[in-house]
Amino acid sequence: MKSRFLLLAGAAALLGAAPSALVAQTLPAADPAPAARPTGPNVTLSGYLKDAATGEALIGATVFVKSLGAGATANEYGFYSLTVPPGRYTFTYTYVGYAPTEETLDLTANMAHSVKLGTKGVETAEVVVLGKAPDQNVRSVETGVSRLDARAIKLVPALLGEADVVRAIQLLPGVSTVGEGATGFNVRGGGIDQNLILMDEAPVYNSSHLFGLFSVFNPDAVKDLKLVKGGIPAAYGGRLSSLLDIRMKDGNSQRLSGTGGVGLVSSRLSVEAPIVKDKGSFILAGRRSYADLFLKLIPDQKDNRAYFYDFSAKANYALGERDKLFLSGYFGRDVFKFGDLFQNNWGNQTGTLRWNHVFNSRLFLNVTALASRYDYSLGVPTGTQGFEWTSDITNYSGKADFEFFRSPQSVMHFGVSSIFYTFQPGNVVPTEARSVFRELRLQEQRATEWAAYIDEERSFGPVFSVQYGLRATMFENRSTGTFYDYVGQRGQQLTPVNPQSYSPSRPVGSYPNLEPRLSARYALSESSSLKLGYNRMVQYIHLISNTTAATPLDVWLPSTRNVKPERADQISLGYFRNFKNNAYEASAEVFGKQMDNQIDYIAGANTLLNENLEAELLYGRGRAYGAEFYVKKNEGRLTGWLSYTLSRSERQIDGINQNKWYANKYDKTHVLAAVGVYALSDRLSLSGTFNYSTGVATTVPDSRYVYQGLVVPNVNGDVRNNYRVPAYHRLDVAATLKGKPHPERRWQGSWVFSIYNLYARRNAYGIFFRQNEDNPTQTEAVRLSIFGSLLPSATYNFTF
Amino acid sequence: MNRFFLLLTAGLAACGLSSCIDVVPLDVPKAGPLLSVDGQLTDQGKPATVTLALTQPYFNDTPPPPVTGATLFLEDDLGRRDTLREQTPGFYRGQGTVLGRIGGRYTLTIVTAGQTYRAETEIRRTPEVDSISLEFRNDPPSYDEGYYATYNGPELPGVGDYYRFKVYKNGVLFNKPEELIVSSDELVDGKYIGGLIVNEDPLVSGDKIKVEMLSVPRDYYFFLNELNRQINNVGLFATSPANVRTNVRSTQGGATQTAVGYFAGYTVRADSVVVP
Repeated sequence: MKSRFLLLAGAAALLGAAPSALVAQTLPAADPAPAARPTGPNVTLSGYLKDAATGEALIGATVFVKSLGAGATANEYGFYSLTVPPGRYTFTYTYVGYAPTEETLDLTANMAHSVKLGTKGVETAEVVVLGKAPDQNVRSVETGVSRLDARAIKLVPALLGEADVVRAIQLLPGVSTVGEGATGFNVRGGGIDQNLILMDEAPVYNSSHLFGLFSVFNPDAVKDLKLVKGGIPAAYGGRLSSLLDIRMKDGNSQRLSGTGGVGLVSSRLSVEAPIVKDKGSFILAGRRSYADLFLKLIPDQKDNRAYFYDFSAKANYALGERDKLFLSGYFGRDVFKFGDLFQNNWGNQTGTLRWNHVFNSRLFLNVTALASRYDYSLGVPTGTQGFEWTSDITNYSGKADFEFFRSPQSVMHFGVSSIFYTFQPGNVVPTEARSVFRELRLQEQRATEWAAYIDEERSFGPVFSVQYGLRATMFENRSTGTFYDYVGQRGQQLTPVNPQSYSPSRPVGSYPNLEPRLSARYALSESSSLKLGYNRMVQYIHLISNTTAATPLDVWLPSTRNVKPERADQISLGYFRNFKNNAYEASAEVFGKQMDNQIDYIAGANTLLNENLEAELLYGRGRAYGAEFYVKKNEGRLTGWLSYTLSRSERQIDGINQNKWYANKYDKTHVLAAVGVYALSDRLSLSGTFNYSTGVATTVPDSRYVYQGLVVPNVNGDVRNNYRVPAYHRLDVAATLKGKPHPERRWQGSWVFSIYNLYARRNAYGIFFRQNEDNPTQTEAVRLSIFGSLLPSATYNFTF
Repeated sequence: MNRFFLLLTAGLAACGLSSCIDVVPLDVPKAGPLLSVDGQLTDQGKPATVTLALTQPYFNDTPPPPVTGATLFLEDDLGRRDTLREQTPGFYRGQGTVLGRIGGRYTLTIVTAGQTYRAETEIRRTPEVDSISLEFRNDPPSYDEGYYATYNGPELPGVGDYYRFKVYKNGVLFNKPEELIVSSDELVDGKYIGGLIVNEDPLVSGDKIKVEMLSVPRDYYFFLNELNRQINNVGLFATSPANVRTNVRSTQGGATQTAVGYFAGYTVRADSVVVP
């Protein structure tokens, strides 16, 4: 009896994340008698957990049987499966921010049962910032995982009032950026291209609007996001440092509703409605910036354009109880035009079609077909210098992912995927006959990436559980064309030799890899645990960028003969502890990471439109290690978190810095973020964030010389990153005022007033060196601040 | 490229997200001096000239200390040899026994302070300048109203030609860091280069614009290009500062940098126009 009970408890622990928590809590309470005696083979309760008001699937919601100490967690599609002995039980369904629902069911056979949860009355005074279940951080076997829901993102004071996914992520431990206005984010000493950013399972190749000031994700369309920094499950691969899994809203399946906002920079509107109530729904969400509309009022600027927009659409439809289809698409663009002089535009497009199939109460399948593309165009529209330069990366991908609730102690995930890539590094065409430009097409590359994986979450009693898996990947560069070897001195531009012709039947490069993954949890007590994570990650495509912040023009390059796949091994160890009945959660994690085949560039490398790009690439090793500390207050009028990361990220590249280790440009010794939200009343809340981080590493000249009247900086001995830009710190504040509640009205408005960079610090984005404009023999160091002052803003948000 | 990013930055400013640049005091390390070379040999029938100096700490604004008393000689691929004599402190000029010629290859040897350095260069083929002409434009914000000088001339068929354009207004070279114009023929190979505007601000009556087109060796093109990036390296998309290449190498070997600058061979073709 007792052993059976333990097994069940373990099963719950396995079934993912939160429930195990609940399990362990009840376990020590001596011998809680089950409500019913098991009388036959186990039976399974399965179905979907949904929001009662909107029908949205609740990712990570839990179902729990207190008397058994058993529970299960809903997956990314809201599906759960809980296997118990036959009997009569009280099931409790919970989700953060929602009222727990209880019901008593007689389970004699497998049962399909979907449940709708309602939000807690007025969602004001209690502001739960993060997470899916109160003690998920301690109980889950996952390590290095942070979840943010859309509400948390909107509570943080935002730059110019634009709630932003990537900026919110940068407040989490282990995450940093090379500067405001820089695209992307860096996780545990990795580059921005080492994050696998998935939007409804489609990879996003450039996460930024306006270079990096805002991210491409419309916060009104985002339902849930999860950042995994370590112990990455075998289902995911292809990037070294992290997984950012963004799930878009499914759309309201109960009634027509919408959200929107009017801000200084952009306006947003999203509309969602049922297709057939309870069976299908859709959501359309768009936003556009409108600074350029003001430009039209200025005569000098009337021909200039500068704006961004994005649009996402998603629909889902249930084909009976067992099958569900999801179709989602995203289209975003940044557009710049300066009269006849210049135009530039870039953006991502993704499309995903998914089919969920429930084979039986214990086997769940998701099949995905997707396409994703990032492209840009730039040039001079007309005239003798007219040209258009285009580049893109496009991929088509198919995959099948199974989730098998094998036994109460074991959940297995397995699946296969394939990705077909096309890389167009750059094509230039003249825009008219009199143009001085000729046509130039850099060699297109094609590649395939295959993967198969299997993993198991397994529990060995309430104190110990593991998730272990293996991912097998195979990358083949199947380009047609001529490829070279490169010879010469490392650190100098190399010379192409030994041209070889390739075709798809003779791959340019063929790389198989095995990627083991492991996470383990050992419970020290009801409210604390130790966790270990290990992962090997392999990355086959590389963003080629030698600027401090990546530019929209940077291109992705597949692995070739010379460019080897990047590999990383990471180990992390964490201590997780919650206090005062989960009112506070805290964690301390250390990590160490080794990276192979890291790419760097010779001095003065030209990474764009370069037919012999590989002549300017250098390869070497990277290493990163650090400690992350995190404390979060979940309840009360004051909520928020404090995160601090102490870390180091270095690389050793033959041909740079005399072949010695040097700090990565995104190395930051200290990164601190404090986030606080204080609910003054049901209508008014105040929030603030404070950031502090060590300045980025850069190179400063130690000498100069004059060449034909131009003063040239020089660093003796070619040292790299010998200096730190001054530390960065910033305080932001915001106040959110909700309109008076009118229960009879559907329209609800709120105002957000915010001040970014409250004490107007001129944070240095970078330190640069130049000749004085008026006195060319004089040299000077200049500081570039993206924001020279404080930035107030007001945004009006609404829902209906 | 830089111009594009400058324009993009201007775009950001237009969005009201005004960024700012200010001068800051900074302590930078001070390195020991290296030999700095600024030399050229053209196909214009004049002997080679070389200026030798020492590098100095980055914030030292005094004139660079000249390197005096050095021994310099120039040899070509026809076995001729010319000795460069010091004319003023640090400034050396050949006697004319070696002159620049298209297709010629040259080696400059410098002996100073017990060290010997060598620099190799060549003079490559060149197209001609057809004309410098005037064009009236009035389409702000791209071009304010007025006359602009344009370059007209062919580009030779076959990729692998490199150019520097030097623009003089009323005899004064446009020589601000952002006015260094270097280009390769990769995107314009064999095309007629016509109507290429060479000045930023509109000209007034009486202004004279002279354009020198220099056909430069490939390695020197990379030198100028790298130099261009280093002296215009401010902004959101700046690169980590890095040393510009040099063709001046110590004969004693060793991988560490021992000299900076360049001794370059190139052709010069020029034409000019006066605004009526």
